[in-house]
Amino acid sequence: MEQWLTQVAPFLSDNLIFTPNTLAQYWDGLVNTVQLVFISLVVGLFLAVPLAVGRASRRVWLNVPIWLFNYVFRGTPLLIQLYIAYYGFAFIDGVQDSAFAFFINDPVYPALLAFTLNTAAYTTEIFVGAIRATPQGELEAARAYGMSAATAYRRVVLPSAFRRALPAYGNEVIFMLHASAIASAVTITDLTGAAYYVYARFYSPFPAFIFVALVYMLLSFVLQGGFKVLETRMLRHLKPA
Amino acid sequence: MADSEIPLVVRDLHKSFKDVSVLNGLSLEAHEGDVITLIGASGSGKSTFLRCMNLLEVPDAGDIIVHGEPVAFKQHNKTREPASWKQVERIRSRLAMVFQGFNLWAHMSLIGNVIEAPIHVLGVPRRQARERGMALLERVGLADRADYFPAQLSGGQQQRGAIARALAVDPEVLLFDEPTSALDPELVGDVLAVMRELADEGRTMVVVTHEMDFARDVSSQVIYLHEGRIEEAGAPADVLKKPNSPRLQQFLAPRF
Repeated sequence: MEQWLTQVAPFLSDNLIFTPNTLAQYWDGLVNTVQLVFISLVVGLFLAVPLAVGRASRRVWLNVPIWLFNYVFRGTPLLIQLYIAYYGFAFIDGVQDSAFAFFINDPVYPALLAFTLNTAAYTTEIFVGAIRATPQGELEAARAYGMSAATAYRRVVLPSAFRRALPAYGNEVIFMLHASAIASAVTITDLTGAAYYVYARFYSPFPAFIFVALVYMLLSFVLQGGFKVLETRMLRHLKPA
Repeated sequence: MADSEIPLVVRDLHKSFKDVSVLNGLSLEAHEGDVITLIGASGSGKSTFLRCMNLLEVPDAGDIIVHGEPVAFKQHNKTREPASWKQVERIRSRLAMVFQGFNLWAHMSLIGNVIEAPIHVLGVPRRQARERGMALLERVGLADRADYFPAQLSGGQQQRGAIARALAVDPEVLLFDEPTSALDPELVGDVLAVMRELADEGRTMVVVTHEMDFARDVSSQVIYLHEGRIEEAGAPADVLKKPNSPRLQQFLAPRF
């Protein structure tokens, strides 16, 4: 390790781009990206569970609005959703003097809103598919043993559906991480924003963007590893002994 | 005998799906310790009859009375529905069912399957449910498989596990819906052996089956269904050995 450091140190000290200053830029970007993605994923997940239950329901007044919500958010580009949240709301009369002023004064809030609703829509569809794929016999057994519809949902349908949804949800998480790069389009200094800043400052696209690509790759790698561990734990009931 | 002393009384059930009438006035009384087997060709209505007993299918007409408590029905948009799902859930928890396809909960271990209904339906404390659940797995010969998941067990093991799950709720009547039909022939014996033991210890059972040996040796009453009607019923010695109806004779013929 020490030897490696002594070899790398001169390279680092000689280069003009990866100075402590720019590394701090990247670090801020990393923190912003992780916060943005983490918060939207967690809130989106909590929204998606009841939405999926409602969407799987046979009650039309419940499932049609949720279908429409998903249709809109999955049918339009995330970037447009972000632009509407960021540019659009600022144009509403009197918003500057209202309690929602904070929302248009910091681009993080519109970004969080767009990202959260977008991932909620995708996650809802993932869960709905998993709920619908519940083996009918298992549900029947739950009812036959006297479980109420709510208990059967809580004890059988949802635990089984979440496990089935896990691989697809892992995909959505990685997708969301990469999609968050467009936050830089509304002046947020996320990882991509930081990379753009470094590129513009030194006019050297390859180091600036390849470095940030590697950071995204590392993050994806960690997430994929996390889901792999989760899957082996949660899906072991599907593996033969 | 008053209805209240009889675990399960079913009177004059009718049921049709769309225009096809499946059950045309079926009745039975399962007294304490009775083993009633329902036999008949596919489509004769025996599974539907059994599934009506715990309201997995709602009969269009007729009564179901569990230990003197009749299931209440109401009319809703021309279809008949249970008046209170609460009552249905309570009654279901007293009539355990064993399915043809096992229907164990795949994401739970075997012991998890066995203790699920006692804990989450009957409110038994977890430790007590677990102790009893382990004893039941011991009974069906699966104590060493308690922490396996259903997918890791053979069909016969799954079905014996499903029987342990049924026993765990201490049911007044055990309903079996073709419990050996999905099993490989060499696995049928283990499951039937467990069922014979249950019959011997005086459990009240209603069994839909194609196993004529089981029907002959174990049951107190055999009911032969044809097109949703009881064609012939009685002690196995009469019904299976000296069948009156030509249809039953034909149904039994290739076997003996």
